[in-house]
Amino acid sequence: MHFGIKKINVNQIALLMAMTMLSACTTQTNSGESENAASAGDNDQIRKKAMAIHDRVLTIDTHADTPLRMIQPGFDMGERHDPNETGSKVDYPRMIEGGLDGIFFAAFVAQGARDDAGNVGAKTLCLQMIDSIVASTEKYSDLAGLALTPDDAYRLEKEGKRAIYIGIENGYPIGGDVSNVEVYFNKGVRYITLVHSSNNDLADSATDEKGPEHGGISELGMRVVREMNRLGIMVDISHGNDSVFYDAIKISQAPIIASHSNARSVTDSPRNMTDEMLKLMAENGGVVQLTMLSSYLMDIPENTERDAAIAALREKYPDMAALTAEERQKVRKEFQAINEKYPEPLANVEHVADHIDHIAKVAGIDHVGIGCDFDGGGGIEGVFDVSEVKNITIELVERGYTEEEIRKIWGGNIMRVFREVQTTAEKIQSGELAAN
Amino acid sequence: MLLFLAGALPVDLPLKAHPLRLSLCEIEYTSDKKLLKVNLKLFLTDVNEALVFDPYSKELAFCKPNESPRAETLLVNYLNQYFYIKINGKKLPLEIRHKKLSGEGDNTALWLFFQYEQVGPINELEIRDDVFTDLFFDQSNLVYLHIDGEPRSLMLNKKSPVHTLNF
Repeated sequence: MHFGIKKINVNQIALLMAMTMLSACTTQTNSGESENAASAGDNDQIRKKAMAIHDRVLTIDTHADTPLRMIQPGFDMGERHDPNETGSKVDYPRMIEGGLDGIFFAAFVAQGARDDAGNVGAKTLCLQMIDSIVASTEKYSDLAGLALTPDDAYRLEKEGKRAIYIGIENGYPIGGDVSNVEVYFNKGVRYITLVHSSNNDLADSATDEKGPEHGGISELGMRVVREMNRLGIMVDISHGNDSVFYDAIKISQAPIIASHSNARSVTDSPRNMTDEMLKLMAENGGVVQLTMLSSYLMDIPENTERDAAIAALREKYPDMAALTAEERQKVRKEFQAINEKYPEPLANVEHVADHIDHIAKVAGIDHVGIGCDFDGGGGIEGVFDVSEVKNITIELVERGYTEEEIRKIWGGNIMRVFREVQTTAEKIQSGELAAN
Repeated sequence: MLLFLAGALPVDLPLKAHPLRLSLCEIEYTSDKKLLKVNLKLFLTDVNEALVFDPYSKELAFCKPNESPRAETLLVNYLNQYFYIKINGKKLPLEIRHKKLSGEGDNTALWLFFQYEQVGPINELEIRDDVFTDLFFDQSNLVYLHIDGEPRSLMLNKKSPVHTLNF
């Protein structure tokens, strides 16, 4: 079922609902207008139903790089920021507006030198970033709370607070010392993305231009995965190459996650997962959390009008490098005007639902979730920042997803995996389950 | 110790466009050597866009045998508008010691290396880094500092272009 409703900013919903009601009350003069009124009424019903579901279910986003914002001087998680002015996608006021109950903030350290000095520096930076997450929950303890277990999210939701989980994006800060995994666990870290944009000592990246060097997960990486199993930290394979996924499935004694990845057969990207991987993820009991990056959601179309306008401008100024400072400012304004007139096309929430449809079909409804990657590049038309995540629910309701299915997508699945990961850890620690 | 980044910058960088507009500045200071090193990692497409209004221009040809003789001057003139480091109130001159390219395609990065000797002791370090905010409103510039081995990270952008650290 698909009504093709154009997605809206949540701040526009009240206005549109009023307009819809007004439209429905207007005396109809022909059958076309009556149909339009009926359609608008259906849309209104869908929106209302979606809003009610969105409010009832636990909504968890498993990936945001907001800690990068937290180290910006003067940035305040308690203030509402305009994403079109600042680029910021997440703060506590907008989490409330969007009805997002919980989020995993990722402590990210860019891959650096793979030596002792580099590892020590990465660890310090990672710990500082974790501290900044914890500090934001302490400063706004009336709005949010640090969450360490699946139950914490449900408890905090009842208290009217956002659940703030901590992940680490890039296992680089573990260095060569597996005992660091426990250091991070004790700090509250509940998932670790093994690798990022380039290979590290743990695993191969999906996007390192040098290609793989370990053939997947390294010996050290395997020890790290086992330690994560022992402690109850989710193993995140996003950013890893395909071999990392297959290795993780083999090594991990608990289900694994992809905190922000999509379906490759829908959009061809090395960061997305093949159908074979999706099926294995289902067998594993894990979950793929869909991410809101246009390039991972759709094939970016050519922007031919913009390209033509830019080409014409370049012809007008054949020697750009020779321009004076004043001339450069004038030309910059001309370029900006073209970019504003012909913006880069963004994916929309229908692309998101296409990926969800596909993963649900291939892996099953129990193996898909949401990990927007806000503040790390995530943000599409209709889900540009966290205040607009309700539009995902509207699209799912439009497509006929039931409340129970939406509950699974928005939080039930990731919490099931999280619980299994912690149960596995308890069994390993008690000796009930032999460690790999 | 400097963090020599390999490959792409954070966080997700699909091939077509940078969803997160980012640059990196690494600052390392060792007081016993009185040595200050500054590395800037900039996307080559952003550099070309800023200097010649064309992200894929080959005109300046940074780090190539046919590098334009005006490439470095244009770059330094640009950087002087949006980037500086002041030590104890005194601005350091931007003289590129060497530079290199890393990565491929849209993810190609231009590294710029600066080095300053007989610096210090550092009581105050002020940094401005809002490079490319004239091109992109949401440009973010990550700064990693290692002052006598003590790491610290900052994010500077159009809204918060300058930060001062006291030691």
